[in-house]
Parts: sequence; C-alpha cells; structure tokens
Amino acid sequence: MKQWLEVLRNGLSFENPLTVLMIGLCSTLAVSSKVEGAFFMGIAVVFVLTMSNVLISAVRKFTPDEVRIPIFIVIIAAFVTIVDLVLKGYFPSIYSFLGVWIPLIVVNCIVLGRAEAYAYHNGVWLSVADGLGMGAGYLIIITGLAAVRELFGSGKLMFLGQTLVSFGAAYRGPNILLLFPGAFILFGFVIAGSHALNRRLAARKEGSA
Amino acid sequence: MRDNIYIRLGLPVIVVCVVAAAGLALTYGVTKDRIAAQDAEAVQKSLLVVLPEAKSFEAVTDTATLAAAGEAAGDVTLEGVYRALDANGNPAGTGILVASRGYGGPIKMAVGVDGNGKVAGVSIVSMNETPGLGSKVVDNKDFLPRFGGLASADAAHKVDTITGATKSSRGVRKGVEAALAVYAVIGAGGGGSQ
Repeated sequence: MKQWLEVLRNGLSFENPLTVLMIGLCSTLAVSSKVEGAFFMGIAVVFVLTMSNVLISAVRKFTPDEVRIPIFIVIIAAFVTIVDLVLKGYFPSIYSFLGVWIPLIVVNCIVLGRAEAYAYHNGVWLSVADGLGMGAGYLIIITGLAAVRELFGSGKLMFLGQTLVSFGAAYRGPNILLLFPGAFILFGFVIAGSHALNRRLAARKEGSA
Repeated sequence: MRDNIYIRLGLPVIVVCVVAAAGLALTYGVTKDRIAAQDAEAVQKSLLVVLPEAKSFEAVTDTATLAAAGEAAGDVTLEGVYRALDANGNPAGTGILVASRGYGGPIKMAVGVDGNGKVAGVSIVSMNETPGLGSKVVDNKDFLPRFGGLASADAAHKVDTITGATKSSRGVRKGVEAALAVYAVIGAGGGGSQ
C-alpha cells in the first residue's frame, strides 16, 4: 500500500508528466484557454491513461516484445474512441470545444509513454496508481493553467454555463494570456513553481528518513 | 519453424484487435441514438440561427428534386433541404444543409435563403478546422455575416477569405456557393413538400 501511494504521488510531483517529464505539452498549451474544456480534457486523459495502463499491464505477459507497440496503440485507440463517442453523445458543447484534441489523445506521449515505461513492466495494481497519478498530475496542471488564463485573460471564470468569478465588464485583461505565447510564458512560471515545491518536498522526505 | 513466428506475433495482435473491435461496437451501439439526437438538435439549432423567423422546418424528401439539387451542388455534398414555415404556417425561406471540404475535413454548415433568394444567414454545424487558424471562420465574428444578402454564387465567390484560414474560408465560401446553386434549382416554392 505504501508503494502504491508513492507511485500515485510521483505522478503528481516528482515525475509530473507536464512539469518534470515535459511530455504531452501540445494539448496542454492548446486547450488550456477555458477551464471547462481543460477540466474535461484532463478527465478524459485520466480515464484513457488508467484504463490503458490496466489493460496493457494485464496482457503484458502475453505481449511479444516485437509487436508491443501496435498492441499498445490498439488498446489506447479503443479507449480514446470510447471517450470520443461518449462525449459526443452526452456533452456536445464540450465535445465541440475540444474537437480534434480528443482523438489526438491517442498520440499523446503521456499515454504511450506510461504504457511503455511503466505498465509493461509492472503489475496491474501499481499500474492503476501510475495511471491515476500521472493523469491527476496532468489534470491539475492543465486546469490550473486554464483557470489563470481564463480568469485574467477574459475577466471571468465559467464552468458548465455558470459564472464562478467575474471581474465585471470594465475589466480589460492582457489578451496575450488567451493566446499561445501567453500559455508558454505562464507555463514557465508553473514549471518553476512546481520545481520549487518538489525541492521542498524532497528536502522534507530526507529530513524524515 | 517459419510458421511459428507468424502465430507467435500475429495471434496476440489479432486477439487484441478483435477484443477492441467488440468493445467499440458495444459503445457505438449504446451511444448511437444519443449522437444522432444531438446531431439532429444541432441541425435544428443552426437552421434557427440562419432563419430566425421560422418556427418549424419541413425536410424536402422528393428524391428527384434532391437528385437535381445534389447535381447543382457539384463536389459539395448536399445533406438536406428544409422548407421553413413561420408561426402562421407561411413559407419563411429555405434552409440548405451542405458539407464542403475544409482543411481538416468536411465543414458542415446551414445556409438560410430568404423568400427573395438572398442569403439570410450562414452557420457552421460542425467542422474540424485547426483551432486558432481555420477556426477563425467561426471565431472572426464578421466573417459569416459577409455572405448575408448575397443572391448569386458569383457574388458569394467574391467574398474575401481570412488570412491564415484561407482553405477553411474557401471551404465555407464553396459551401455557400453550392447552397445558392441548389436554391437556383429548387426555387422558392416547389420541391415536392409544399
């Protein structure tokens, strides 16, 4: 259990896919202009990552080395298509915002990267922790990034049609936040902040050991 | 020995593919009706946007008319023609649903034509254009209204495209041109369902 929690936490902090491993950045920068879209993108990634990790780990003993990548891709693509169909049927507004980024989860390096680096070499139970941790790490960073961009870029925060926070109509935010350069600059600060946090966590871990 | 490698490597791939296909078939079966309902609703909404005075829509079902109209649309796919009726049941224009080729796949759109044969409005139902570039055809709020009031395909052809979204705006423009060509064939009144 202790190891399980450790793996889960690694995805959030010391091996965060976005701020430490620096993979899957493309979708992060692209869909983090709206909190709502970013949140559901994160949920979709958590689902696909966890499910594909479980399945790949479960069949790893029967997967010949030479054909493992095609097998990984088929499994991942199947889960992505399931997410795609469900979103299309039940959340059309979110589906139209995320658009092409949902099918593109198939080629998101995080998913294939974790399949290859973790699930293929570890048990099902630990792979669940890895999927959840890595997915949550992605979800938190992308949603946080989107919250700052939407709030300060457009002056209000919307979620499922509800306005959560609003600075009023007079607010004129820096437009750059909503554009890609703003995402890049802001993401630099996120990386710096997350590294500072990780360093502190590591120091505390050493102190207690 | 040579046969062995095919079985050893091929079998796992085939098994995984079959299982994945079964899972997808199941999901598709469950979500199919919901997706169709959402699509129908999106079409209905787009028609209301382009023909705001209309209260209800009647799909034109006459195959001969649709075939002639489809011919007029050229390489743009005609997806449906709807007669709009206002609150009193009088004709309130025609809604034409077309899918033209954009940069990232088909651009499905609704074109409303009023009783005088002029474009009343254009609305995108669905598209897969690049976010930030091709998506400008929707995001630039002054682009779709540029087609308003145009009465012929030639006039629609002269509408300026958007920088950075040339292929996508050309796709939209082709769609409007095709819709006007369709309208020229089926006219304001006829079409079998009147």
